[in-house]
Amino acid sequence: MPDSLPHPDLVAALPRLRRYARVLTGDLNRADDLVQDTLARAWEKRRLWQPGSDLRAWLFTIMHNVHVNQFAVRRREQSESSLDADDGPVAGWEIPVRATQSDRVELAEVFAQMGRLPVEQREVLILAAVEELRYEEIARVQCVPIGTVMSRLNRAREKLRRMCEVSASPLKVIK
Amino acid sequence: MSSNLPLSDDDVHAYADGKLSGERRARLAAALERDPALAARVAAIRRQNVDLREAFDPWLAEPLPRELIAGAQRPRGRKPPRGRWAMPALASAATLIIGIGLGWMGRGEVLHLEGTPTTFPRQAALTHALYATDPNRPVEIWANEEDRLVRWLSKRLNFPLHAPNLHAMGYDLVGGRLVAGNEKPGALFMYENADKQRISLLVRKDNEHTSETAFRYALEDGVGVFYWIDDACGYALSGRVDKPQLLAIARVVYGELAAAEAAAPKP
Repeated sequence: MPDSLPHPDLVAALPRLRRYARVLTGDLNRADDLVQDTLARAWEKRRLWQPGSDLRAWLFTIMHNVHVNQFAVRRREQSESSLDADDGPVAGWEIPVRATQSDRVELAEVFAQMGRLPVEQREVLILAAVEELRYEEIARVQCVPIGTVMSRLNRAREKLRRMCEVSASPLKVIK
Repeated sequence: MSSNLPLSDDDVHAYADGKLSGERRARLAAALERDPALAARVAAIRRQNVDLREAFDPWLAEPLPRELIAGAQRPRGRKPPRGRWAMPALASAATLIIGIGLGWMGRGEVLHLEGTPTTFPRQAALTHALYATDPNRPVEIWANEEDRLVRWLSKRLNFPLHAPNLHAMGYDLVGGRLVAGNEKPGALFMYENADKQRISLLVRKDNEHTSETAFRYALEDGVGVFYWIDDACGYALSGRVDKPQLLAIARVVYGELAAAEAAAPKP
């Protein structure tokens, strides 16, 4: 059916869409709004969906685009209206660590440090390491050449590893 | 990518991610043997991947908000379908909590049913197989008398029941019946989609309260079963449906029941 999306598959993809949205926005409520906007956009563009292809990757692509557009708008609004919008390139990570995520100290650390990575690096890590998308698919989602994906992945992994090492060091001053 | 090119950083990542194949993969594996620093790097990437999955996978098990499930259902702005299924699900009388005073002691524990040890998912699958294939009498009371069905089962089981609305997943209520349990009866709600594919929800009362709501899966004689415990009730959703689809429906059932419970007046 070219005029429809496979609804059970769409619902099945929701937990992963929601996770991706949380990684993008760093905010639980904004994440759910982003999922809603993505679903609405997906239904609008349903004729572009190729039955049989990876619905999840297609939805990630839509979500990435919706987020980039919204982020651009918000940035513009902030720079016009707010005096202290200059918090650096990383949007705040306002997601509490859930109990299940703090079972191991290192996991809570990985979770926390992910929030300090630039959004495109968080994105590439989640898509490559957690969702296990092919690099070509990630390039399509982020709309960049595959070389950019690889250099982002390289930097993200290196940076996350170093940040986790530093914070695990006993010499670290406790905040 | 020609295999004559020297190995690059990209190959190291692809290898660690399990995405490198063929001759380059073999060459990188050989390089790892010679170069402990490179081997350590690959190991670190793999460890980080595992940590990332463990840190971010718990989100997948969270119940979904009803609004998101509704958002997946149809484009925004389009009118909801008419009829009784279109009622706001939270207020819908079609959503009924089911609970039964059954002798089920806990997930995965063995029941002694007529001398035969039977687990909860197995019993759910057997019950489903027995009634879902019955062309004439799959249920005792049909969905056109849904209110009566719910009142009757609630009375028989001495517990307020709720039948989830699965219309969003393409399934409508066929009806329900009382089914045999270990010591006390259980309730079975049967649903059917446009292809006449049937799924059923078995509900039983547990004796112990538990906060665990993780979905568990079992495959019994070709019937898939997702089962979980929520607030002293055991639920099992059974059907000859593939696993991802059954899980998607189970999530909707879970969301419906949670919403109905939240809306129910406190005793």
